[in-house]
Amino acid sequence: MCYGKQTSASVLCMDVGFSMSNSGPGEEPPFELAKKVIQKFVQRQVFAESKDELALVLFGTDATKNPLHRDGQYQNITVHRHLMMPDFELLEEIENQIHPENHQADCILLFVCMKATSNLLLLIITGQKPSKKLPVTLSPFILVVTVNRLVIGISSFRGKKYDRLNIALLTDLNTQASADNLEIIIENLKQVGITLQFFLPFTLEDNEEGGADPDRRGSDHPGTGKGLSREQKSGLDMVKHILLSLDEGEGLDEVYSFRNALEQLYMFKRIERRPMAWPCQLTIGSSLSIRIVGYKAVTEEKLKKSWITVDAQTAEKEDIKRETVYCLDDDNETEVQKDDTIQGFRYGSDIVPFSKVDQEQMKYKHDGKCFAVLGFAKQNLVHRHQFMGNQVVKIFAPSDDEHAGVALSALIRALDELKMLAIVRYAYDRRSNPQVGAAFPCIKRDYECLLYVQLPFTEDLRQFTFPSLDNKKLIPSDAQLSAVDSLIDSMMLVEQDENGEQKDMLKVHHIPNPAFQRHFQCLHHRAVSPGTPLPPIEPWLKAALEPPEVISERCRGSLHETKRKFPLIEVEKKKKLKTSAQIFGKDSEELDAKKAKAAEDEEYNLADIAEGSVTSLENADLYNSYLQSLKRSIPNRGLEVFWDLLVQDSITLINSDEVEGSTVSKNEANQFLVAEEKKEETSAPPAEDTGDVDDLVSVYVDVFCVSSRF
Amino acid sequence: MAEWNAYYHNEDEDEEQEEGEQADGTYKITGRDSLVFLVDASKEMFIKGEDGQPSNFDMTMQVVRSVYTSKIISSHRDLVALVFYGTEQSKNPRNSFKHVYVYHDLDEPGAKKVQDVDALRGDKGAQLAAETMGSGETSLGDALWCCSNLYSDIKLRLSHKRLMIFTCRDEPHSGDSTKDRQARTKASDLKETGVVIDLMHLMKPGGFDASLFFCDIVSPPDDESEMGLQLKPSDKLEDLTKRVRAKDQKKRAMARLKLCLGEDINVAVGIYATSVSARKPGAIRLYRETNEPVRSKTRTFHTQTGSLLLPSEIKKAQVYGKKKIVMERDEVDVIKKFDEPGLLLIGFKSMERLKLHHHIRASVFLYPEEDEVKGSACLFSALLKKCSEKNVFALCRFISRRNYPPRFVALVPQKEEFDNGKVQITPPGFNAIFLPYADDIRTLDPPQHPSASQTQVDKMKEIVSKLRFKYRSDAFENPVIQQHYRNLEALALDMMAPEETEDLIMPKVEQIDSRLGPLVQEFKDLVYPAGYNPESKPAAKRKTAETGGGAEKKPKVEVPEDELRAHVQNGTLGKLTVPVLKEACKQFGVRTTGTKKQELIEALIARLG
Repeated sequence: MCYGKQTSASVLCMDVGFSMSNSGPGEEPPFELAKKVIQKFVQRQVFAESKDELALVLFGTDATKNPLHRDGQYQNITVHRHLMMPDFELLEEIENQIHPENHQADCILLFVCMKATSNLLLLIITGQKPSKKLPVTLSPFILVVTVNRLVIGISSFRGKKYDRLNIALLTDLNTQASADNLEIIIENLKQVGITLQFFLPFTLEDNEEGGADPDRRGSDHPGTGKGLSREQKSGLDMVKHILLSLDEGEGLDEVYSFRNALEQLYMFKRIERRPMAWPCQLTIGSSLSIRIVGYKAVTEEKLKKSWITVDAQTAEKEDIKRETVYCLDDDNETEVQKDDTIQGFRYGSDIVPFSKVDQEQMKYKHDGKCFAVLGFAKQNLVHRHQFMGNQVVKIFAPSDDEHAGVALSALIRALDELKMLAIVRYAYDRRSNPQVGAAFPCIKRDYECLLYVQLPFTEDLRQFTFPSLDNKKLIPSDAQLSAVDSLIDSMMLVEQDENGEQKDMLKVHHIPNPAFQRHFQCLHHRAVSPGTPLPPIEPWLKAALEPPEVISERCRGSLHETKRKFPLIEVEKKKKLKTSAQIFGKDSEELDAKKAKAAEDEEYNLADIAEGSVTSLENADLYNSYLQSLKRSIPNRGLEVFWDLLVQDSITLINSDEVEGSTVSKNEANQFLVAEEKKEETSAPPAEDTGDVDDLVSVYVDVFCVSSRF
Repeated sequence: MAEWNAYYHNEDEDEEQEEGEQADGTYKITGRDSLVFLVDASKEMFIKGEDGQPSNFDMTMQVVRSVYTSKIISSHRDLVALVFYGTEQSKNPRNSFKHVYVYHDLDEPGAKKVQDVDALRGDKGAQLAAETMGSGETSLGDALWCCSNLYSDIKLRLSHKRLMIFTCRDEPHSGDSTKDRQARTKASDLKETGVVIDLMHLMKPGGFDASLFFCDIVSPPDDESEMGLQLKPSDKLEDLTKRVRAKDQKKRAMARLKLCLGEDINVAVGIYATSVSARKPGAIRLYRETNEPVRSKTRTFHTQTGSLLLPSEIKKAQVYGKKKIVMERDEVDVIKKFDEPGLLLIGFKSMERLKLHHHIRASVFLYPEEDEVKGSACLFSALLKKCSEKNVFALCRFISRRNYPPRFVALVPQKEEFDNGKVQITPPGFNAIFLPYADDIRTLDPPQHPSASQTQVDKMKEIVSKLRFKYRSDAFENPVIQQHYRNLEALALDMMAPEETEDLIMPKVEQIDSRLGPLVQEFKDLVYPAGYNPESKPAAKRKTAETGGGAEKKPKVEVPEDELRAHVQNGTLGKLTVPVLKEACKQFGVRTTGTKKQELIEALIARLG
């Protein structure tokens, strides 16, 4: 099924007039705040890669730049950017080209702007130019028409479907308002279905006498200390009137203060995906089936884009080519064509050639899409920690099939009453592997569904056993238990508030994925300030990943007690890789990362190689002679600290006891390190410059792995 | 639909990653297991049972084959050997032992060896055995000595050494006390080097009396519950013939981390993956001509100069809002770093706060690491006990490894449990359940339907009760993997066809139908109107309802030139549909190689821009 692409169109109308740059001492002028709101908003759109389109209209500009400008009309309005998908260009323009201007935007302008934009949107949807002659007077509503005309004039995308049309107005409302023609505007907006949002330097409550609801966006906004001007008050009344007329219920929720907006915009938009319907039939035996539709309800979301590799100089990916070649394991590393290779699988000590064609032909095949009940089981037999896969699918009846709805409801309710669940065979389609899973009943206030979760196959289970903790040496004393008891009590995240309602201080599923937030923060930084180091993690994000402050405060005592009651002694790990800083006297994150990489790679390569060949005599000798030469080069290469590590770990020569054929005796091997230990005291401190650091690290790891094989 | 498919791809990637994660853990090579089959080849072993029952020798070969094939799949690195004693011919490394025939030296099992064993089965097998080895004198002492040489010839580190004697003679030396004593000495030598000697005594007329001789040979049972010798031979054999086609997983920690309770209270814990989606083992690329494995090399080079690029000559980029944002390679890693790996306790919540549907990936298991921080086990144990008592879980922030972004986990206490035989079935520790972030939860618009009436629900309850069974997590094999192993086996062993796979996750439709009987019809009568067929598509198709007759809606694909130019200028070509873009390409004589939207757009920009 082809879904029409649904996009929304928003026009941001920003007041850049004179009064917007007024502010109390030490306060940020409304203009700057409004600009930030727009920036954040655009950023979000850019990174969300939403298809939503944005236009930017400035009013109160000294200059006039709009297609409607004729005979001195529609002055001081600038269409900065017509309706299109936002990009970094727009962000840069906002940063560099938008400044406060001297003209005082008046209410008329504001309304002109509104009208213009709404008409613009109207035109876009209907694809028709307004037939009405443009009014000559500067009535606010007319202005809306104008702006619309303007924008449309620039680019007309007829027949484009938008599922949402929105106008956002950012202004301080410091304008003489006239309520004339208000109703016409409202009617106009209503008809077209345009929504309005107002972003103001203050909140609605600031204007209300006394009775500000403390829960609603706090009213301690700076810049409003002196109270609102008469103009602002009347402007605000008008705004309220418009919004309430548009949406009786929640119209006033569409008024934001700049600060609230900024707080909410701190977060990058969460990744949203359109739920995809998976129509199927739930079957019980051969003759009972119920039509169902599945939707992925919970799944680990990934970033949509991955990194591309580019040339460091040109930043072009076309300049780089990656190529994989295959070569025989001979001395010449003879290359062979990919087409001349086939797949094989290990079968014990043999490798069995098994071409892709044969695999395809012989592989397990099934009938495709299915959701078939194998049987029903008690819910307590399926353990939470056995959930597999990475998604939860919610199963409903199709919206257009009431009978299926009733049948499914009967199943859901039956399972719920019996505390049971269905074990099902689930196959997404013919190409995908079938799964076994559980369908739990789920009854909510406004809907019922089955929750499908994959369960393990027997091959997936690793039944490890662990020593019992009921060991005399380990059993905690009563005093210890009570310390932990009070620790838990002091760290409970869910509490009852005064009204007896449960309050959860930290809901993980309300936290945006910090990795995405950080990712976009860094990308944004790099895009707007190239050449500067990446910024630190934003404080709000850092705080969201720590225990809530209340908890940290409250548990201090019991934590202290726990610490006192439970002695914890870190065991000196000789095997622990010393940090590169310790070895090389350098402290660099980069180095660390590289080392870890090298360690990973090396360890594995080496393990593989060693597997087959370590037993051979040459290898032991090779290794020994390498170690001996390494030892000789200590003074020259400043390897004392490194050597120290070898000594500490007793990484010495392979002796004949360990490997038959080694020419080194056990005693010699032991002496090898001992002699060095004595010398150590007199040895010079490691040289500052360690030369080829990377080489050294991998050498260290090599030695390490090889020795651990014996 | 694309999205669902994408999921399946993702899943693969994830698993790959997961494997990686484990590989990254502290993987300690502990050596390999080894198993020597020491099989009696005396005449008695070849006597067929009554009613044409297979001979003991035949049964033994069956067992050996089954162990070989199981090992090949579960742990092919283990070593196995097959040695016969009481033969006429001799064959052993230094040919120093008479009447001992080393059929397979201690080595990894493979297809050839399975076929060798196959050759010894049945009547033909008996004949072959008689021809190649024959039956002769018996000296178990020599046989054991020979086996101990097999072990000492192995240079690899062996973690577990086991020797299984298959015989139906309880007095192999027929009372020759010198030979008996020699055998006892050799057996104790072997046991001293860590070899576990096990006896598979086979049926013999008059019964097998282990106390006559073999009780001194075999290793004593590990603990009292395992009554080694008392087991009936048939049970043991059955155990051995049970085919396992699953990879053996060694217990090892994915990571060893600190669980920080606050301040600097750090408990050391090991993270274990207790359930991981098993996949087909990876393919190996072979050269078609010789079937020898090839290695792959990936290199990055400059397109123009053709020179290989160093890592420092490469950067990473992403394009957003028409801008290419470039970062250094290590910056890309650093972005993901929030903190050092570890677990940070955030607080506690009661268990009912853990939502069933908050599931994004398989859980992991936590167990204290006393070796890293002394005292960990005690504090861990106290936490476990108290969480369990208070029915709460611990909410933690979890950074699983270096440069990995944090996730939140619910640590759910799990008490130790035993089965009747006092064998641990669930270990004590915490299961860490991964919790979703806001981004991971999708907004759905659930369809509205009336609920079922109690009568309808009750009828369904009858159906549910009829089909009730006891779920066990290890009851279902993965048919995809099972089929793959069987195919591989068939190819490796030159079998005509792979063994049949039983698809255990296929509903047993006939059984279900017969159990339900008339209930199905009764239920259908209660919920479905006459003539309703859930199999067919609903009558009113949404598509037509939405578009109101598709034919006339066929989009007009032509766009006026100036409009197109405007699109090019404004960078809004992406708004046009693919057919429109194609038409436009035709219109301007733009040749495109691709049909992807981006390619069309680029081609048009190149022409008009």
